[in-house]
Amino acid sequence: MNKSISAAKKLTGALAIPVIFAAVLLILCAANGKSMIANRTGFNYFVLYTAIVMLTTMALSINLNSGRFDFSLGSMAVLASVLSSRISYAMLQGGPGSAAAMLLLGILIGALLGLASGALYVTLRIPPIIASLGVTLIFEGLTFTLTGGKYVMTEVRNASISAFAGNWIWSLLVIAAALFIVIWLFDHTKFGYDYNALKNGQKVAVNTGVREVPNALVCYAICGALMGAVGFLQVARSNSINGGSLNFASISIMFTAFLPMFIGGYIGRYVNEKAGYLLAALCMSMLNSTFAAFSNEVSASAQSIINAVLLVLFLIWLSNERRLKQILRPIRS
Amino acid sequence: MDSKTALLKKYKRRQRLVTVLPFVALAVLFAVLCLTVQAKGYRLPMYLKILLNEGVVLAIVATGATFIYTLGSFDISLGASTLFSATVGVMVYNATGNFGLMLLAIFGVAIGCSLLSSVLASVFHIPVFVTTVAMMSVLSAVAAQIITANGGALGGISIPAEVVRPFDVMWFKILVLTVFFAVCMFLFDYTKLGRRQKFLGGNPVCAKLTGIDLNKYAILAFIMAGIGVGIGAFLTLVYTPSVTTGTAGSIGMNILVAIVFGGMPISGGPRSKIYAAVVGGFSYIILNNILKILIDSNAGYGISQIVSAVFFLAVVYVTGMNYRSQLLPR
Repeated sequence: MNKSISAAKKLTGALAIPVIFAAVLLILCAANGKSMIANRTGFNYFVLYTAIVMLTTMALSINLNSGRFDFSLGSMAVLASVLSSRISYAMLQGGPGSAAAMLLLGILIGALLGLASGALYVTLRIPPIIASLGVTLIFEGLTFTLTGGKYVMTEVRNASISAFAGNWIWSLLVIAAALFIVIWLFDHTKFGYDYNALKNGQKVAVNTGVREVPNALVCYAICGALMGAVGFLQVARSNSINGGSLNFASISIMFTAFLPMFIGGYIGRYVNEKAGYLLAALCMSMLNSTFAAFSNEVSASAQSIINAVLLVLFLIWLSNERRLKQILRPIRS
Repeated sequence: MDSKTALLKKYKRRQRLVTVLPFVALAVLFAVLCLTVQAKGYRLPMYLKILLNEGVVLAIVATGATFIYTLGSFDISLGASTLFSATVGVMVYNATGNFGLMLLAIFGVAIGCSLLSSVLASVFHIPVFVTTVAMMSVLSAVAAQIITANGGALGGISIPAEVVRPFDVMWFKILVLTVFFAVCMFLFDYTKLGRRQKFLGGNPVCAKLTGIDLNKYAILAFIMAGIGVGIGAFLTLVYTPSVTTGTAGSIGMNILVAIVFGGMPISGGPRSKIYAAVVGGFSYIILNNILKILIDSNAGYGISQIVSAVFFLAVVYVTGMNYRSQLLPR
């Protein structure tokens, strides 16, 4: 009996934020005679954006939860997508299977880039935030040199990639695969146990024999692989790659993941944290679709402001939850 | 005993090297720039003026930001804050035609934005970094909205060049940098403000137990950073009297690079140095200009960024070599 109550509480806790998000946004759309997802194309992009946000959030949280801030995630995604699009185009000339080839190559190249970034950090033993600044500049520089600072379009505009973007099932498969692999790796393997030990007590974990360097390298490789996939998904969404990002312009990709990371962390109190990231990504995708529905009324600047205000409001609530509950207790009783 | 003495000597030798290295790097880079400009047959005074214009803004904003970084905190919104302050300054001048009001608006907005970040962080207990990420988004977006609505994203908004022309001289910019640096150095090295900030950055728990109020010193640090942003925004307008959405775009991250390049640890604390921002800021600007001259093509921008990143990592590696631990740094 107790177990079922606990399960019900867990379910309520996990779904509360997504349901509130959905309710508010749907009411907002209905009140203005708009629909959040107008047609199948809208739904395809909804699922695709959910995948992008979930994967980016996972990549950001893996290192950030261990106290390693990584600015290079965005540059990794862009460079991986440039390289994978070039190689897949050279192999298949944009023919059938291009999307699958680019996705797999993106994941592989992303993992290698992540590994290189991690290797630099563990070799130089400089703070990860500093190492990531250097890596970001290097990856952005490489992308700019490879593309001449231009948009990459020929290599990514083909029927195969359009078919991927045009069917939500593919995005859903990416979400399911990423969720399964990340949950398995971090919750059911020795690597995951070591990661959690290092996350919660670096010194104690190292003193008890956990090998920190290989663990950090694998973390960076996983983040890279996730960002490689994000690079591909971004290409599917926008049909081009901006090769002209220099001087840290690529870090904005990472900022989209802050709010879902905190929302996912909150939901993670009730269910698996990674599933929390999926639910948080769903919230972000609903918000993004609503912005698209209101694109004539809400400018891009206003969207940025709304996102930032939501982030601050959520964090105010999260950081002062106990105090707020104390204040609200007399009102409730 | 002998081996201990030898180790201590080695440590001290390295420590001296670490202290001197950023200055040596700056001197070497400056010499290389002069030689490169001469070899290419360009005009050196023109390059010195470019360096000064770019370097002064970065050095001033980064010097103010040093107070925040000393606490072990982090502010990524300073570039956006510079853009927003300059935007409001231009709007106020165009509305009133009053130079004094423009200055007041620039400094008021810069300090106000900084204070808002620190108050949000200290009153609502939000991680400072996240607050500044949100502030960056909001300030950039609002500035972009104002600029686009009043002049277009590319053309931007502007004030008449005559308004700021009297200040567009080398001696004025050097004077502003010197005065601001001297004030910051005094506060940082010779008052309890600087000492307590270093203590808080080095060991916040211990500092709190001795009765030091973190919130108070965080707010003071953000005010200093706000003043730096205000001066930076004004000098940006002096250099180019128009503001576009791209103005000061890279300052936020370049501050980080400058501070680290100058030999200060990003974790703050007692090893923080007030001169790091000036030395590192100018070194980074000079390095970028050398590379721009040497690699003179469109693709060269990418290569020069890679070279400058490698140089940056090398300097950070050498300056941090005395502080390696068995555990990976976080």
